[in-house]
Amino acid sequence: MEMESFSSLTVTERDQILVEQQVFNIFKTFYNIPPSSQSFMLELQRENHVEYLTNGLKQLGPSFCVLDANRPWICYWILHSIALMDEFVDPELEDNTIDFLSRCQDPNGGYGGGPGQMPHLATTMLQSIHLEKLYSFIRQMKYASGGFRMHDAGEIDVRACYTAISVASLLNILDDELVQNVGNYILSCQTYEGGISGEPGSEAHGGYTFCGLATMILINEVKRLDLSSLIDWVVFRQGVEGGFQGRTNKLVDGCYSFWQGGIFALLKRLNSTRGEKSIPLGDGEDSGPDSSETTASSDATGKGLIEDLSQGGSHIEKGDQHDTSSRVNSKRHAKVKPLFNSLALQQYILLCSQDLNGGLRDKPGKSRDHYHTCYCLSGLSVCQRSWLEDDDSPPLPCAVLGPYSNLLEPIHPLYNVVLDRYREAHEFFTGS
Amino acid sequence: MHGRPRKAPKPEDEAASAAKAQKLRALQTQFFSFHHDQIYTKEAVELSAKLLEINPESYTAWNYRKLAVEHYLSQPECDPDSVKSVLDDELKVVESALRQNFKSYGAWHHRKWVLSKGHSSINHELRLLDKFQKADSRNFHAWNYRRFVAELMNRSEQDELKYTEDMIYTNFSNYSAWHNRSVLLSALLEKKAEGFLLKENVLPEEYEFIHQAIFTDPDDQSGWFYNLWLLDQTVTTDSPLLVSTWPTCGSDVLIMGDGCQNGSFSPFTTLLSDSGSFPIILYFNQPVEGVNSSTVTIECGFDKNGYLHWEPLSVSNSQAAQVWVAHLKFPTPELDSSVEVRVGHSKGIISTRGFQYCHPSTFSFNVHVQHVERDSFQVSVAESILWREENFKIYRAQSEESIPIASFDQLCIKNGHESTASNWRTEALAKEIECFRELLSLMDCKIGKLTLARLLMAYDAMSFPFATKLVHSEEVLELYNDLMKLDPTHHRYYKDEHSLVLLQKMTSSKESLLQHCFQYKDSVSSVIGNLICLRLNNLSLSRIGAFEKLLWVQMLDLSHNELQSIEGLEAMQLLSWLGLGNNKLGSVTALEPLRKLKSLRVLDISYNQIGDHSIDTTRYLCSSPLSHSVGSELNKDETAIIDAALVNYLEAFYMLKDLNLNQLDIVGNTIADETFKSALVKIMPTLKRLDGKVLD
Repeated sequence: MEMESFSSLTVTERDQILVEQQVFNIFKTFYNIPPSSQSFMLELQRENHVEYLTNGLKQLGPSFCVLDANRPWICYWILHSIALMDEFVDPELEDNTIDFLSRCQDPNGGYGGGPGQMPHLATTMLQSIHLEKLYSFIRQMKYASGGFRMHDAGEIDVRACYTAISVASLLNILDDELVQNVGNYILSCQTYEGGISGEPGSEAHGGYTFCGLATMILINEVKRLDLSSLIDWVVFRQGVEGGFQGRTNKLVDGCYSFWQGGIFALLKRLNSTRGEKSIPLGDGEDSGPDSSETTASSDATGKGLIEDLSQGGSHIEKGDQHDTSSRVNSKRHAKVKPLFNSLALQQYILLCSQDLNGGLRDKPGKSRDHYHTCYCLSGLSVCQRSWLEDDDSPPLPCAVLGPYSNLLEPIHPLYNVVLDRYREAHEFFTGS
Repeated sequence: MHGRPRKAPKPEDEAASAAKAQKLRALQTQFFSFHHDQIYTKEAVELSAKLLEINPESYTAWNYRKLAVEHYLSQPECDPDSVKSVLDDELKVVESALRQNFKSYGAWHHRKWVLSKGHSSINHELRLLDKFQKADSRNFHAWNYRRFVAELMNRSEQDELKYTEDMIYTNFSNYSAWHNRSVLLSALLEKKAEGFLLKENVLPEEYEFIHQAIFTDPDDQSGWFYNLWLLDQTVTTDSPLLVSTWPTCGSDVLIMGDGCQNGSFSPFTTLLSDSGSFPIILYFNQPVEGVNSSTVTIECGFDKNGYLHWEPLSVSNSQAAQVWVAHLKFPTPELDSSVEVRVGHSKGIISTRGFQYCHPSTFSFNVHVQHVERDSFQVSVAESILWREENFKIYRAQSEESIPIASFDQLCIKNGHESTASNWRTEALAKEIECFRELLSLMDCKIGKLTLARLLMAYDAMSFPFATKLVHSEEVLELYNDLMKLDPTHHRYYKDEHSLVLLQKMTSSKESLLQHCFQYKDSVSSVIGNLICLRLNNLSLSRIGAFEKLLWVQMLDLSHNELQSIEGLEAMQLLSWLGLGNNKLGSVTALEPLRKLKSLRVLDISYNQIGDHSIDTTRYLCSSPLSHSVGSELNKDETAIIDAALVNYLEAFYMLKDLNLNQLDIVGNTIADETFKSALVKIMPTLKRLDGKVLD
């Protein structure tokens, strides 16, 4: 094994450097323009996003052929994004959409990707009317190992477990039979890195980690996971760009704002999140002198943001050096720092993922799409409330990057639906 | 669909794709009608292939093809050759679909389905994979498929290991290859394959391998990750170990309550108990199951029964726990009694990862009981404790006094731990430490520092089991301090680690421990005055640990820290007085470990942030009927006390009502308004004092 056999700069690193350059150029531009333009850049272009999304419900371009089997998903991505911005869909369009979705339910109970398509667990996520049939469909997808198949004779993975369990729980049809062995299956997917993989033997992945963790919470077995190493892993997936990567040593991608950011939203609800472990695993974030320099330089240009951060920080500090009386008085706003850098992530979403003409994207240089619009916005909503523990009260302005009008509706982090819609659904299906 | 570059469409492209869409629409309509009518003619099957070529995500079409294959195989005229050709056709369809989109779940799955039929040649598969893995070396579908094929072909793990090596040489930033290497090596080590019998032969080579990657480019994170896996492999032992007990081996325990202390007993081993029994605590290095009266036997003069009920101390209600407790009744007062506890002499204690406890060990201790006058006892337990600086004075230990930590070494010898601290492990760690010190002398590297900190702690733990000496703790604390400045984004993570190391350091030697041992000085008090109060206050701890060395503590002051969680505290079964004032406990559910502390009488949780957050538990997060294992357990009388206005506090009542507290300080929390407190008094009948006020 010769040293020379390794080239001096790896492919991954070269790609990483290119992305960092693009991102830091955006940040640099941002900090060199007058404050009024800055606030424009940080503004969530609601109108444009809504227009882009609404058009998607009406007529999709021909390039969407490959998504034909995911049509209910497109509806979800669009409708959820619109709901996050507290906007409404024109009633006629809404009726059309509901009509379309109801035609997707198969006589056997599940929902398919389009009228006449076979039922698939992922599309069944969306809604349901025939509960008993739906239950028997989910039951049929269950596999002895504890996992679920995505569809009849389909693949088994953590995604399938999450979709099955979350649908069942949302519809209040979850029972011991569905849950049996699911926990064991998910446990077998937690890797030494700390995150959760799609299937046993694979590497940890942001989307699957979210699905696995949410499933374990839903079936009340979350403490069986090694939460300590899971946190170690997810914490270090946030990179210098502010956004999250999905897997170890991959590039940043806006959609992980939700998949990874959502993990934090779940974790903050678990009363104690740190276990005892002698060798915590799960680091591997950008490191070394170069990247710390880039961090430093971006800090220098990123003065405004750092000030924002330190304002938030000093608020905490003040709370810490209480004198008791002031602590009690300021308790309404007492906050717990999130385990990730929420403002940096918001900055990435607004400056790098946002297409000012409407829609959001993976990273600069990529095109907008409904999937990324949905998960960037969901991530943004998670960030804005990451300093709050109480979703019913609005966050302080310092927790919301950009104008306060950027504030999105709160979501239910287990299901990623807008909290109010969740409550309506919950009331409906539990009959309370 | 995501993660793939897309260009803005040109007008002619748009026209082309519109035509394509129209074609797809027509195909689809035709396909669904075939599918619906279960038509599996040649024409129909070909049509589904066309559809899949355009849209590999069309999982209905994949399933249709499965049905068509099954249909064909069930025909009487079907012979082995035609079976093969049918299945080969399927493989071709998959291949062209994957060329279109090689992240298609349906396509990969269909290929597995075809191969599982066992009629197709699999020799072609690795070549196909090579092609795909060259195009995207991080595609996890391809890696999953590779593992599937390797298993199907009975390809040896050694060959696959070689493949990861080649991939790493091509591009050592390919973390998927490193990861697969860890999976393969784990399997080889587990089944003790030839050449992989001993970790000590395998791991040093891996360290060499990884150094090349890390030293060539310390900025690439893949190698560091693999390095952490190696470190974990180096330090973890499969079989669980007993690391600590209470009472400790060879100790003389005095159980008392009447205030007159026998001069020959150390306050470290004097237990004040009002329950007529005392606990025996077993602390393992990892969660275990199967601790019961047959795997752990007790020999003692005063309890001939020998049957003990062992309880796992875990807040998750699982049957596995790192800490187990049983309660033994007092011997008759005048009698000095010796107790011998034999752990794991018969099989049955098993780690959650499935490894047997295989270090049978024995420890014995003596118990002395002094008669307790009930009244004076009650007074002493109920008296007001004020966690004020002036109420404590530092404890002056007698020179020969035994301190609980000293006996760890004894336990260690009896456990036969020498084998686990084998030379190659410490040597491997020492070499790594040297290596990364060198790297850090050349450059300031964040992850290098973190790795070095972990290595040093692992080295200390291995050279001196039970951390009785921590030669490197100063250096490690310094490293975490650096990291907090260098990498503020992950400040909280480093702070937690810093807190744990600090606690390990403070409890590692008699001298350092004694600096935190105080005696409570209060004029009314006599009994309490004879006990040790361990004061770990004002240390800005964000996390607590080192419980294995704190099992003896009855009075603990953790005030003025930054604790958000007290997880693990349930191990400290002797705790009767606990000060948690001025911390950052954010929710009442964070107090869950206290429910396991049956001796707790005095609790101070004043000036925390309890009640700031109305949504703070999984119970509110999720409506699943399965997640309501606790809560809603208040009985009717209790519900009657809580009127509608207090319904938001149900969680708090649930958490606090089972604590047998005499004294509670809760002032300075959002939750603690007057209505809440008056309901609290009713729900906790044992309470004598609330926020310093004596209750009637």
